[in-house]
Amino acid sequence: MVDLHLLLHGFATVLSGYNFVALVLGSFFGIIVGAIPGLTATMGIALMVPFTFGMDPFRGIVMLLGIYTGAIYGGGIASILIKTPGTPAAAATVFDGYPLAQKGLAGKAIGMATIASGIGGTFTALCLTFFAPILANFALRFSAPEYFALAVFGLSVTVALTGKSPLKGITSGCVGLLIAMVGLDPMGGFPRFTFGTVQLTGGFSFVPMLIGLFALSEGFRQVEVILTAPKVSAVLTNIIPTLRELRECTRTFVRSCIIGLIVGVTPAIGAETACFIGYSEAKRTSKHPELFGTGILEGVAAPQCAENASTGGDVLPMMTLGLPGDAATAVLMGALTIHNLQPGPLLFRDHLELVHQMFAGMITANLIFVILGLTFARLFAKVINLDRRFLVPLIFIACMVGSYAIDNDIFDMITCVFFGFIGYVMIRYDYPVSPMVLAQILGVMMESNFRRSMAMSQDNLLILVTRPIAVTILILAAFTTITGIRHQQKALQMEEKLAAAAAAAREGRQG
Amino acid sequence: MANLTMKKADIIAAAIVIPICLYVFYESEKWPVLALLGRPFVIPRGVATFLLVTALLLLYRAWKGRALALEKRLEGADLRRVIGAAVITFGYLPLVERIGFVSTTFPYMLLFALVLGERRWPRLALFAILVPFVVYLLFSTVLHVPLPRGWIENSLREHGFALFFR
Repeated sequence: MVDLHLLLHGFATVLSGYNFVALVLGSFFGIIVGAIPGLTATMGIALMVPFTFGMDPFRGIVMLLGIYTGAIYGGGIASILIKTPGTPAAAATVFDGYPLAQKGLAGKAIGMATIASGIGGTFTALCLTFFAPILANFALRFSAPEYFALAVFGLSVTVALTGKSPLKGITSGCVGLLIAMVGLDPMGGFPRFTFGTVQLTGGFSFVPMLIGLFALSEGFRQVEVILTAPKVSAVLTNIIPTLRELRECTRTFVRSCIIGLIVGVTPAIGAETACFIGYSEAKRTSKHPELFGTGILEGVAAPQCAENASTGGDVLPMMTLGLPGDAATAVLMGALTIHNLQPGPLLFRDHLELVHQMFAGMITANLIFVILGLTFARLFAKVINLDRRFLVPLIFIACMVGSYAIDNDIFDMITCVFFGFIGYVMIRYDYPVSPMVLAQILGVMMESNFRRSMAMSQDNLLILVTRPIAVTILILAAFTTITGIRHQQKALQMEEKLAAAAAAAREGRQG
Repeated sequence: MANLTMKKADIIAAAIVIPICLYVFYESEKWPVLALLGRPFVIPRGVATFLLVTALLLLYRAWKGRALALEKRLEGADLRRVIGAAVITFGYLPLVERIGFVSTTFPYMLLFALVLGERRWPRLALFAILVPFVVYLLFSTVLHVPLPRGWIENSLREHGFALFFR
């Protein structure tokens, strides 16, 4: 159960001095990153991880949480103003957000998006606060076979449900597993796949690789589309929605919060899926579904609320089980590890005060970006027009210097650039990058716990299928993967239908 | 044309992955198998086998013409800027530690912005000068992280410019 005394102390810590400054700066930076198309929440977090090294661990983590929640929200700003999602999570906001901007209601749309995002994010941050200790307590019963099963569950869902092609997702994931094996054997200490190189004895440095795959690869993509970046010309007025407009969206908020929480808790599925499901459910259950796509506030509230509602759900398995909910939480895991904090049930046992501070940080972060979003909406709109010819080189330098700063090792910089280029090529040809990264985290967990299970059972494989919790998780993994692949194909078709319906609705209105 | 590009990419990916899988089997033969180590080759070989199967499926799908289509906006995209950015970035890496961060980053920023199409020289020069100094100051004074100094900056430091290069 959550310790209310520790939670209140956590709020006091978050709101004090430099911690609060770090949170506000993180949220501000996160909204800017989210608002600029092509820059993702994962990229923003990956870029800032090295900058948190010199900070107190909690301050660094709360700054990254601010970036995470702010960036997920910020994507909606570009969706509304230039019909281009700032982050993949805001794709569904385009359907009604841009038509609202065309009607001269860009300010109202952004205001509704901001408040909806805040409601969704705060709801799941509260759920995280109350459910995480219960799940962590249950996870203390886990041993090596259960952790092996969890890793298999996370891997199977990750590789099968990311990207347009499960086959390419599996290829990416398997390559990630092999990359994770480079270095010394975890139990025997002999070198594996090092080719006699001293630098590879410790394996590839995880954070530089993360920065390369998520941040630098996007930098290369930005180079490709540098001349086609659209400009913002809308004027923002009447930003704050009226109480009546908010009341009319109450059912939408409730529904989207629940959708976001469920989607977020499922490993590998994050805000991108939550926004589409939130939008399609709002349309399906509406008394006037024909109005969706023509520019209505409910069409903005639903996806924005769902996408930010998924953030708490994504952090939940990461903190309690050491299982990243999506790519962004995988990077957050890397940040926690750098500060000598191992995510999982032992985090709750050994650092309970810090855990409650993180809960308080997550709740506060969702309130802070609402205040910043409503206050500086016009500034964030202008940020979209930043000249990419100067922004992109800055991103490259930040990535390379950030990678170097970890261990003052030029090899880390080389790792970052190498994986950055690989990541760019992969994204270009539809090989998703997230499974590769998630597989590296889960692969280490899978292999080490498999080997421990074999040591426990003296090489008897039956230990993996005779323990009830482990078997249940493995069956769940198989079931979730099979049904998930089917749902994903349907979701892709739904995405195309919604986009076509929204385009048809706009043409009908203009006709 | 779009399918051909994606088809080539899938074939190249399979061609890279298949030898990697075979190498995993080759190297894992040499690993020790002792008591208390479990079986160190099980997971690597299992993964390599899985990967081999997916690579062969990708190859088969590409050969049958069922590769996914390239994203519309990427068809015919000008990759020269990307190649230019990659070349100067990979060229920057061996120089930064030898020559020094500030000295190398100035021409790097200049060249990069030129590759991206910026031609207004006053803005370009200001950007190329300011960025390395600001980043250097931020890391060395605020974050206390030393950046590569190289022989130029070490020489400057020895000749009285210690204030700038701590």
